[in-house]
Amino acid sequence: MRFSVKLATSILTAFAFVSVYGQAEQMIGQPAPLFELKDTRGNVHSLDQLRGNYIVLHFAATWCPFCNAEAPNLEELYQKYRDKNVRVFIVDVREDAALVKKSLEHFQFSFPVLLDEDGTVSAKYAPDGVQPALNRYEVPIASNLIIDNDGKIRFYSLLNTASFDAKLTKLNQKLDELLNVAH
Amino acid sequence: MLLLYFIVLLHSLPGPRQMSSDTIVKVVAPGVSAHAGKDAVVNVSVLVKKGYHIQAHKVNDEFIIPTSLDIVENNIIITGKQAFPAGKKFKIEGSENYLLVYDGEFKITIPFKVQEEIPKGKYTLQAKLHYQACDDKTCFAPKTINFDIGVQVI
Repeated sequence: MRFSVKLATSILTAFAFVSVYGQAEQMIGQPAPLFELKDTRGNVHSLDQLRGNYIVLHFAATWCPFCNAEAPNLEELYQKYRDKNVRVFIVDVREDAALVKKSLEHFQFSFPVLLDEDGTVSAKYAPDGVQPALNRYEVPIASNLIIDNDGKIRFYSLLNTASFDAKLTKLNQKLDELLNVAH
Repeated sequence: MLLLYFIVLLHSLPGPRQMSSDTIVKVVAPGVSAHAGKDAVVNVSVLVKKGYHIQAHKVNDEFIIPTSLDIVENNIIITGKQAFPAGKKFKIEGSENYLLVYDGEFKITIPFKVQEEIPKGKYTLQAKLHYQACDDKTCFAPKTINFDIGVQVI
């Protein structure tokens, strides 16, 4: 009986993971929605102008505990791949620039933090049908994406608090895979 | 006779429980009686929907939004230091970090003193509960629930 309960729990957990992950899968291979956003220093970054690079995007908010938990690992990832044609950006969603700068001082990011002040860009990256109860701009918060050198989404991990990948293991693996193929 | 008993009982109560909620959190604030110039306490119950958790009052990261309660400034009572329960540890997979959270039901105790010069009668205090919730899939933007606390000055 206990075994059956454990088995059922495992199947349900696996199904939930596949289901959440699968929902973002619909965007894999699709052209990444274009954006042009200012960073916290006022520099403008346009996805169109970044074509030719591999882009890692992390949607975040300062209040998001899971974003903060993975933040040091994102800096580590940036340092690991910065000389391999990989650009890393955090897109902060609908927050005051002063608060974002305070967070930036805390985490000491070496890469730009972009300000999606009205959540328009974040909403464009929300997969259809995922978390319908949420505002569309909230859906991608804590997600990680890889956009390839041709502007297509190659990796999209929506937040899954129950099996969170703070160390960004899957993101690193996918980057390695893409870069190995590219070279 | 029974009806009379209930009418008397109803009038002797400090006031109705106030309930406010959104889709994740429900706040229940009982009416409370107190004498002018004397100390009293109100216990506010917070119910977090099954499957969700909210950040505790005491958090271990300066950017996390803790659960907090504000009573809107008024000339009826002076509030003391609120007491929140300790949070439960919530491990973040793949990280050394853990969150301190509340789930299920918990109480916030608010000691207060009614101002000396307040006449007897029923008063309504406005209050706000601030929280930030997550479930097993995602986290939600910080929210505030407005609710009332009924105070009967006797």
